[in-house]
Amino acid sequence: MENHETQISKPKSRLFFLSTDHKTIGILYGFTGLLFLLLGFSIMMLMRWQLAFPGQPIPFIGSWFGQDRAPGGIMLPEFYNQLGAMHGTIMVFLGVVPIVVGAFGNYLVPLQIGAPDMAFPKLNLMSYWLYVLGGLCALSSFFMPGGAAQSGWTSYPPLADIATAGQTFWLIAIIFLALSSMLNSINIITTIVQLRAKGLTFMRLPFFVWAQFVTGFLLLLAFPALEAASVLQLMDRLAGTSFFLPSGLVVSGQPLSVSGGGSPLLWQHLFWFLAHPEVYVLILPAMGIVAEILANNTRKPLWGYRSMVYATIFLGFMSFLVWAHHMFLTGMGTIISGFFQATTMIISIPSVVILLALLISLWGGSIRFTTPMLFALAFLPMFGIGGLTGLPLGLTISDIPLHDTYYVIGHFHYIVALGTVFAIFGGIYYWFPKLTGRKMNDALGRIHFAGSLIFMNGVFFPMFILGLAGVSRRLWDGGAQYQFAQHVLHWHEFMSISAWLLAVFQIPFIVNLFWSIRKGKKVRENYWDATTLEWAASSPPPHGNFFPLPEVYRSPYEYSVPGYTEDFLPQNRFMEEGSGLKEKG
Amino acid sequence: MQINIPYATETRPDTGLHNAKLGIWLFLASEVMLFGVLFSSYVLLRVGAESWPRGADILDVPLGAINTIILIASSITMVRSWTSLLKNDFKNFRLLLSTTELLGVIFLVVKCAEYRLKFEHGLYPSGSTFLAIYFTMTGLHALHLLGGIVVNAYHLVSGKRQWNLNPEKFTHRIEAAGLYWHFVDLIWIILFPLLYLT
Amino acid sequence: MSLKAFHIFFISLSSLLSFGMAAWTIFLKNDALLGIVFAILAFFLVVYGVRFLMNQKNVSFL
Repeated sequence: MENHETQISKPKSRLFFLSTDHKTIGILYGFTGLLFLLLGFSIMMLMRWQLAFPGQPIPFIGSWFGQDRAPGGIMLPEFYNQLGAMHGTIMVFLGVVPIVVGAFGNYLVPLQIGAPDMAFPKLNLMSYWLYVLGGLCALSSFFMPGGAAQSGWTSYPPLADIATAGQTFWLIAIIFLALSSMLNSINIITTIVQLRAKGLTFMRLPFFVWAQFVTGFLLLLAFPALEAASVLQLMDRLAGTSFFLPSGLVVSGQPLSVSGGGSPLLWQHLFWFLAHPEVYVLILPAMGIVAEILANNTRKPLWGYRSMVYATIFLGFMSFLVWAHHMFLTGMGTIISGFFQATTMIISIPSVVILLALLISLWGGSIRFTTPMLFALAFLPMFGIGGLTGLPLGLTISDIPLHDTYYVIGHFHYIVALGTVFAIFGGIYYWFPKLTGRKMNDALGRIHFAGSLIFMNGVFFPMFILGLAGVSRRLWDGGAQYQFAQHVLHWHEFMSISAWLLAVFQIPFIVNLFWSIRKGKKVRENYWDATTLEWAASSPPPHGNFFPLPEVYRSPYEYSVPGYTEDFLPQNRFMEEGSGLKEKG
Repeated sequence: MQINIPYATETRPDTGLHNAKLGIWLFLASEVMLFGVLFSSYVLLRVGAESWPRGADILDVPLGAINTIILIASSITMVRSWTSLLKNDFKNFRLLLSTTELLGVIFLVVKCAEYRLKFEHGLYPSGSTFLAIYFTMTGLHALHLLGGIVVNAYHLVSGKRQWNLNPEKFTHRIEAAGLYWHFVDLIWIILFPLLYLT
Repeated sequence: MSLKAFHIFFISLSSLLSFGMAAWTIFLKNDALLGIVFAILAFFLVVYGVRFLMNQKNVSFL
């Protein structure tokens, strides 16, 4: 039984962007995702000008957008709506998810489980290019007559059904992205189940791998809902059906000629059936990254690893049962609202279990305040704020005044921006030595951290104040037309200036990233003295990762083992019997 | 430099699977969700509708019935092409897989004829929600079948080479293709009574 | 689950559908021809399924 029955994966192409190596694909995902993140952020900075100074021409770059978007540099409401919809779409579907799943998942999962590559390398490459295709589709819609999608990132019909052609492109982009993430999640799950190194049982997997495993199932089973919904909406827009258009719909005084019988509520159900698990797709890998960084920098095992794993599985399961808490105001009935309110309260329990376990892990650790650790430490309270402010939104009574106000935006940006994006930054600083063999500059990293932490709070905290004052999130002028909003409107200026300063503080990061690739300080292979398997490979790992494949003897976070000379004991280090060490797990 | 992916063909002892089998089942799970969502949408739309036509009054039941029989037959030939590979009978495999392909194409031709008949009578997706969901679901099903036909055509064309290179791996591939083919047929077995008979 | 197991599942469901279809056409539609065709198909599928199980005893269900 020699080689004839094993799949041979040979990089067919010398071209970087056609390589089937999981590390190359992960890096491609990472850079593309970071570009989209920057684009989504730039869109937001434009919107913040309009919100802070409504009706005033955009300085310096106002003339770039043309007469039909911003005549005289003054943003039109339609253009503002396009920016709003595309900011959400780009950030969620093209920025954060591809980074946490595509980049971190692809790069790290095979390394952390001691596998030579993903289970299906060619599908992996295909999923990257489908993602690029979807991204180009979404971007090209800006140049359609009537502009990009402008019905919000949720694309609620009937508005989205009768919107301009950009919406069609949005739907096609979503179908591409659904296919891409389906292939990616099949790949990640199969890799974790099948390619674990010898001795690496499920309860010895690093927590990051567990998070990716559950995330894979969420993407696999939730995305088809939006895919099907997109097909239905495409039919509505192209074939004249009326899945989401009710009978007797009147648009600007004219009754619409539809066959009728459609249900706008159906779209919301299908959309949120994806989009709620999607929230956990955003946060679970981030928690995984933070867990890795925390365990390494506190130099002690994670507290309650098992309960964290069980909480993650439970969280993944429950995330399929909470979607309609986004729809309390749709009139779907109090009984259904009551059910989803109950499930929403239940799902907060596993999130709290994970967060508390991470917090308690700090207790008694000898903490090293490295740059990635700063981001991981900031993640904990910031995610805490995001999570706690979510509770009033999950209760029907308090959701009624808060729904669709700035409070909601503040809540989920505390989770996604101050939570996930911080974890992404921390992860980049933490695994950069693995990717390049060099480390990123610490001084620049600390400047980046401090600026990001201060100004992200500056952007998002005032949103709670605006939201509690009742200002709606979707207004083109930020609420200037309403009398009741006048006493809080000055916060818009504060938030906008914070956003622009936040952009300034991203410059050290960008400079640091590119400078360190070539000029960063060279470091040894296991720079952080970590225990998990990715640090057993050389930096950067060659095609095939491990020669020979490693074998695992213990749990992932064996730091400060009593009686052992070093303060870390790698998973793959073999210990003789009776060497004075008791084996655990 | 070349690397070997472990368990691409051989079974991993502790999970009892090879990679492709887990992969195809995960893919089918995703597909179940896709069609499951469409079926749920059908139920929701039907329950919410003021009136819903009887499928048999609008659609051509005998044509649909013929298509059902064709698909059941194609599943049988598909599974037998796999079992003949297990018996090392490549010739028989080729014959049976070609038959499967032929039956799949006939299904699509009948489906097209059915669509044409509807269009000739002025029945378009925009006509009513029933027609809309009929065209969407059968259209999506036909697209899936087309995908299966393309995969099997690839296995027919390159079958000899793959069989000579690595018979065990090729058998696994045919099994995966067969699982997908069965899934697509199973969807039809549910679609047919749902749309044509109720 | 191997193709064998899935095939058995599929054939059982198909024969159920065929029985149902036969009953539906004969009793509700009075379309004897189609009904008889499906009744024959149903019996054929049951027989085929049992024979398939007997012939493929050495193939794993997993």
